[in-house]
Amino acid sequence: MDLNSFLDELTQKDGVSGYEENTADFIAEAFSPFVDDTRTDNLGNLIFLKKGKSEHGPRVLICAHMDEIGLMITKIEDKGFLRFTSLGGFDPRTLPGQEVRIYGKKIVEGIIGFKPPHIYNENEKDKGVEMNDLFIDTGFSREVVEGLIRPGSTVAIKRSFITLMHNCRAGKALDDRAGVAVLLQCAKELANLAHEAHVYLVATVQEEVGTRGAVVSTYGLSPDLGIAVDVCHGDFPGALDHEVSPLGKGPVITAGPNIHPHMAERLTTVAEEYCLPYQKDVSPGPTGTDARAIQISLGGIPTGLLSVPLRYMHTSVELVDMQDIKIAGRLLAYFIMRLESGFVEGLSCL
Amino acid sequence: MKELIKKLSESFGPAGCENNVRSLISDEVKKLNFEHYVDTLGSLIVKVGSKGKQRIIIAAHMDEIGLMVTFIDENGFLRFTNIGGVLTSTLPGTKVLFQNGTVGVIGQEKIKEPKELDFSKLYIDIGASNRDEALEKVKIGHTAVFMPAFHQEGNRITSKSLDDRIGCFVLLEVLKRLPSSLPNRLYFVFTVQEEVGLRGAKTASYRLKPDYGLAVDVTRVGDTPEPDFKMVVSLGKGPAVKIKDSSVICHSRVVNLMIETAEKNQIPYQLEVLEQGGTDAGSIHLSREGVPSGVLSVPCRYIHTPAEMVDLEDVENSISLLVELCKTSW
Repeated sequence: MDLNSFLDELTQKDGVSGYEENTADFIAEAFSPFVDDTRTDNLGNLIFLKKGKSEHGPRVLICAHMDEIGLMITKIEDKGFLRFTSLGGFDPRTLPGQEVRIYGKKIVEGIIGFKPPHIYNENEKDKGVEMNDLFIDTGFSREVVEGLIRPGSTVAIKRSFITLMHNCRAGKALDDRAGVAVLLQCAKELANLAHEAHVYLVATVQEEVGTRGAVVSTYGLSPDLGIAVDVCHGDFPGALDHEVSPLGKGPVITAGPNIHPHMAERLTTVAEEYCLPYQKDVSPGPTGTDARAIQISLGGIPTGLLSVPLRYMHTSVELVDMQDIKIAGRLLAYFIMRLESGFVEGLSCL
Repeated sequence: MKELIKKLSESFGPAGCENNVRSLISDEVKKLNFEHYVDTLGSLIVKVGSKGKQRIIIAAHMDEIGLMVTFIDENGFLRFTNIGGVLTSTLPGTKVLFQNGTVGVIGQEKIKEPKELDFSKLYIDIGASNRDEALEKVKIGHTAVFMPAFHQEGNRITSKSLDDRIGCFVLLEVLKRLPSSLPNRLYFVFTVQEEVGLRGAKTASYRLKPDYGLAVDVTRVGDTPEPDFKMVVSLGKGPAVKIKDSSVICHSRVVNLMIETAEKNQIPYQLEVLEQGGTDAGSIHLSREGVPSGVLSVPCRYIHTPAEMVDLEDVENSISLLVELCKTSW
């Protein structure tokens, strides 16, 4: 399956944090031709192994999270309107007008309604949007809704995959399904490369509610080193240059206290040697990615972070450049190909 | 039933200083002849059954929120900080109790607006007229809890620290009612330091390597005038099966087992989606390679105030549900 169709189908799978099974099934199928082993751990992390040719080769963890931010029903109101809370960091301002799918006894379609400007009262004109004021309308009465939906039913945003100009694609959940696509590209490239390292490609769960999948999968795999693949902010009008990375100029290699300096350096060297475009970024503390959890697992894991620039994060029109994804996957594959035990031993000498 | 709840909830046990509560609970456990021990951080672990297939942790926390003395001024007034989620709005005029029996009242400096009220504007008055007199009773680092004032009105009880002594009570009652042969190996864990970050549960579950986890704790309700959150849990409508809170998304296998067990045994239950707050399950499920976990919640009004309120019928139904869950294969 080519990367474009993979991402198209993948963003149509609903997999809000804690409820990633549908997404996992699809990913497992797409990866299976390129990996030696597939398993799922206790929390639902999907773990692929691509064996290296040396039995004692380094063990590398590369992960991207497959969960997306979503909503959860808290209450059914008298007339059947549904109140909800968020699973992960939704900005309530992006919700009015969205189409949603509610996972009740069956999938129920709904929309998030909003009070029209014509009937605002004076105070409401300048007021922001609060999650507590929003509701989902399914068109059904309370009686019907109660037969189908309960508090705790999950809700995913519905949005088709949009093809735009210049390799650009927009849609929901590209944070971090774009990262999962990077892993797939990496697996495909590795099929044609000789490598000593044993590579664990992990589609993690529950990143959006606190990198929880990465906490347990890193502990379980106990790798020699780890790389998180996630998205970072792309450029758009109004954003400051130092806050964003332009789209189409390659993946972003992060440096900072969360990142082992040799990891950032090696990713950079590999990109230079193979003439792959890349960008650099710094993060002054624990990053908001799985890298945060990987680094402080067990006795400490040397960690790297590679990101795909993405515009409009945590909206339903997240926008990426397919070329950045492809190059990120290739960079990881070359990184793995070049990985020798000497480098791994050097990670403990700072 | 009421006597033990009263004793447990009136007992002194802010996070990090749970020894009074632990002795009380271990006295009860000793009567029942279960093997038990205290771990490094102070959690009490009770082993039930040795043959079963699955290892299950069932946890309730012994600690409560409290205050800790940071400074004593020359006039004998004590400044303090919070241990866990203490709400400043509950403090002015409230009586507090130290472990040695010293009683204090909380006073408040002059403020212009309610939002100025923070810990720096509050102090504890123990009646001392100067620093030396105060030091005879209280030292820096000493901790205090809300003054006990247990009360029952029909099925409803109010007390400090029903969060989570009511959970401890549920566990103790379940221990009394368990049959001798069980399909699982159970570890009833009375944890420490839940209120300061689910810490006791973290080390206990690392040590015990469970296959499943279940926390028993209180949850908020949405049945009071203008509640903070739109949630459906009410007092008196049965124990709540947690779907999620800030610390955990409960594992569907555990959630479904709890629902099926309640329905099969005709025990009323409610579904809980809690927008703020966490429980020991937050630590347990992230232990080692991950532990599928759930939470059985006792609905509770006015959590983290001196007068938390629960319904005894909910407590009884929580006990029944937990007994049935212990008898079920997971």
